[in-house]
Amino acid sequence: MLTVIMLGLFIAGVIAWYGETVRQHSAKWIALFGVLALALYFVVSVLVQAGGDLAGYLAQLTTSVRAPWISAFNIEYALALDWLSFILLLLTFFLAAICVLVSWCEIQTKAGFYYFNLLACIAGIVGVFSAADMFLFFFFWEVMLLPMTALIAIWGHENRHFAAIKFFIFTQISSLLMLVAIIAMAYLHYEQLGRLSFYYPDWLQLDIPLDLARYLMLGFFIAFAVKLPSVPFHSWLPDAHTQAPTAGSVLLAGVLLKTGAYGLIRFVIVLFPAASQEFASVASLLAVVSILYGAKMAFAQTDFKRLVAYSSISHMGFVMLALFSFNFIAYQGAVLTLVAHGLSSAALFCLAGMIYSRIHCRDLSAMGGFWHSAPRMGGVTLVFAAAAFGMPGLANFVGEFLSLLGAYSTFPIIVIVAAMGLIGSAIYGMVLFQSSFQGSPTVGLADLSKRETLICASLMILLFIFGLFPSLVLDLSLAAHNTVSLSKLTPAKPSVQLPRQLSRQLPRQLSRQLPRQLPRQLPRQLPRQLPRQSPSALRQQ
Amino acid sequence: MISMQHLAAILPQLIIAFGVVLLLLLIAWQRSQRMIQILSLSILLFALVASSQLLSIEAVSVTTLLKVDSYSVITFMLIAFSGLIVTLLSGQFLKQHIEVHDEYYVLLLLVLLGAGILVISDHFASLFLGFELLSIALVGLVGYVREAQHSVETGFKYLILSASASSFMLLGIAFIYSQTGDLSFSGAALAPDAAGAAVAVNALNQLTAFYNVGILLFFAGIAFKLSLVPFHFWTPDVYQGAPTPVTMLMATVSKLAMITVLMKAWFSQSLFNREDLVQLVLVVAILSMLVGNMLALKQDNIKRLLGYSSIAHMGYLLLVLLVSSKQGIAFAWQTALVYLIAYVLATLSIFMVVILSESKSKSESESKPSERASGHTITFASWHGLFWRDPALASLLIIAILSLAGIPLSMGFIGKFYILSHATVMALWLPVAALIAGSGIALFYYLRLIFVLFAQDEKTTHSAISLNPLAQFLVIIFAILGISLGLYPDAVIDFLPKMNGLR
Repeated sequence: MLTVIMLGLFIAGVIAWYGETVRQHSAKWIALFGVLALALYFVVSVLVQAGGDLAGYLAQLTTSVRAPWISAFNIEYALALDWLSFILLLLTFFLAAICVLVSWCEIQTKAGFYYFNLLACIAGIVGVFSAADMFLFFFFWEVMLLPMTALIAIWGHENRHFAAIKFFIFTQISSLLMLVAIIAMAYLHYEQLGRLSFYYPDWLQLDIPLDLARYLMLGFFIAFAVKLPSVPFHSWLPDAHTQAPTAGSVLLAGVLLKTGAYGLIRFVIVLFPAASQEFASVASLLAVVSILYGAKMAFAQTDFKRLVAYSSISHMGFVMLALFSFNFIAYQGAVLTLVAHGLSSAALFCLAGMIYSRIHCRDLSAMGGFWHSAPRMGGVTLVFAAAAFGMPGLANFVGEFLSLLGAYSTFPIIVIVAAMGLIGSAIYGMVLFQSSFQGSPTVGLADLSKRETLICASLMILLFIFGLFPSLVLDLSLAAHNTVSLSKLTPAKPSVQLPRQLSRQLPRQLSRQLPRQLPRQLPRQLPRQLPRQSPSALRQQ
Repeated sequence: MISMQHLAAILPQLIIAFGVVLLLLLIAWQRSQRMIQILSLSILLFALVASSQLLSIEAVSVTTLLKVDSYSVITFMLIAFSGLIVTLLSGQFLKQHIEVHDEYYVLLLLVLLGAGILVISDHFASLFLGFELLSIALVGLVGYVREAQHSVETGFKYLILSASASSFMLLGIAFIYSQTGDLSFSGAALAPDAAGAAVAVNALNQLTAFYNVGILLFFAGIAFKLSLVPFHFWTPDVYQGAPTPVTMLMATVSKLAMITVLMKAWFSQSLFNREDLVQLVLVVAILSMLVGNMLALKQDNIKRLLGYSSIAHMGYLLLVLLVSSKQGIAFAWQTALVYLIAYVLATLSIFMVVILSESKSKSESESKPSERASGHTITFASWHGLFWRDPALASLLIIAILSLAGIPLSMGFIGKFYILSHATVMALWLPVAALIAGSGIALFYYLRLIFVLFAQDEKTTHSAISLNPLAQFLVIIFAILGISLGLYPDAVIDFLPKMNGLR
């Protein structure tokens, strides 16, 4: 199924490329239909295979395809799906459709090749989220990079070549580090079990010596931290975001950054639990620096897209902080933040694109008073800005709140500092809104067209849905938590006060599940766990 | 005694040697450019077919001088294949020059013969024979086009430096002989068979200074040909000044033969056990990776750029010499072969595009004499926006560049994956770091080149390059080959000798 989707996306891209040469403006229709049809196919086939119990079906990593690929290294073509990849794939498909719609009028030159690149990039992302063989994962990791670079370099703004090269070199160097770590893991498998393996479930069986695990973990961590991005490796992001065409920014912010977080969750934390716990203090420090630095830099920007780009760094800091706190509530918050940030930052970049298409500049100081001429757009912007600074009722709030709440038990001081980032985000959110839509009117602006209304409305509705019913996402991860994959995280303390939206379900479920799973998991985990945490876990029991 | 089996083992080399004689006879009989090209093509095809029969051969020693094994058969096939492509493209190139072209093909076949002897040599004498045959014929080719801008300078540069490299090497061989009394690769390692491995290692440690100097000089001679870092200064100039098909030949055939013979000599003498030599190779490799890539950064001339980037590639490849024990040799060979296949394919592709664009720009400037003085060098500017004018040619170029840069979807990535695997298994962390840094630097100029292909402003007046059917066919074949081998490398790896262990 996933193979069909990837091939389908790629073929749709080729057809779009070809179609554009036959008939102008056909490429975008082909791309749109391709994305929608394949998204429908994906959802339907997952539902059919799940047979009613979606959460149960997705709880564990299920391998759907396994075929030998490069026999000399025992490399396989293996795809797998679980709840995390399912959620992120849905987000990918949704944003893919948004991307096509956003580029509808923006891309006038070489449109066929543009949609080919867009769809090829999405195909690569689908591959990243579903690969179960590490070589294949790396392969897709690079495949999604190439078309993205082309998108920036060909259809970007004034400084596009510089931004594209910077983007590519940053990710390439870091991913080579990851490749070395992948190879080292495969040879470790060879040493321990007598054969090479790049198959991810095989790796989970490995017993990695801690001193080696530290280096391997670092190799993976750097690759994902560059993608995330976290502070020392972030400098490609503002340039790439600013210079990319609108759809490129949407894809970058909405999905590409999530591949970094996905990698942290799936590989760094799960494969190297002990090493990552040792590393947690450094990671959380990096996270909090990202949060504050991102917020501070966002506040200082005068470029609409650059501001949103820096805010992404800040938001992704919350995800990293939550992930490295090894707390289940924080973990759920991180996943929700991923989805929420994917929607809200994509929305803001869409708006930036819409404004740019009207006034041909991104400079906030040249904007102002748009509210008078475009009230609908203003209202939408206000909602998206509010989402970005975490207004209750919108998805980001739940995600960031849960992240901070969960992380508090592990890093109280750091979380208190990180919470200041929320204030910062409110400030830059308001700066963004005020300097563009309030004040004295400078130029008149045409209000949203029907296509743009569709884009904004769908993003807004989803933000509200996930804000009011976060259980849609959380249930999936909770079901997974009950089975196996997250057993390495320490269970949440039942005494922690939960927010109102969650009090409906979380305590009920947690209390129901904790007794069931703890006795089963602890004996297995104990030898690997750090002394710092095992006593508290024992006491609960 | 030489039996039929021995003759069969060196049949490809014999075919080429015989072919050289045939070519000379043909020249004496009739001077026809077309006929001589076809004859050399068919000779190479025969050699290729003959060596494909040898693919699964057991190692055969033909006298003490030569030793044919499956590794050398594969490199020879690569050499013959590169020769074939160079011959095909030379026809197009030579049409635009006024020299008599028959001897060109004779020299070309002599280069291939020299390379063919190098890859099967198992003795310092045959090594030197192949080395000289290759160098002298190449000198002739480098300066072949007399009226070209840098012809004389390039020819002299290559001649002098090549001769001094040969004499260094000869001196080194003499030193080695003075200490070991044997010129065969395995014998020169100080008779290990008599005393057993432990004594051999012991003896290695007590080697005299002359032996060490000999090995050093020998390594320097090879390193000159591979243009590794302290001996790299000739590369960009000669790459730029030589006729493009000859540059193509130098970049593929010469490098292939040299690295193969270096590996053979190195492994059969177990030089990887020598700590000091390992350090030397490490330093040279790391320097080559970094310096080669850094010097390539600001190049504007494509041929110069490729010259510098080849320095870096040979630096990467040098890592295969560093194995920890005899068991690692099979994997080292496999690594080297996969990397060489990827490198040769990519290099041939890029030079093919260079030759095709050169002939285009040349036929354009014929009509405009004013531009003639500026030469026909292919720079970044001449490929400006090529993708929109000629997608097939540009696609081939992009695939080849990605392959050289080692990005997935291309064969080059598989090669780099092999090198990284090899280095990781041997725990060579410093070179791995250098390789990653070097790749990062290299990306800068590779990407710059790709972006030029995609550039949009239409101010340039280049029209589409019109290709003849043969060139078109080659372009498409190479593009398909580049992608499909990147996606399904098993197609190539299955042909390589199987390894029976990883380290």
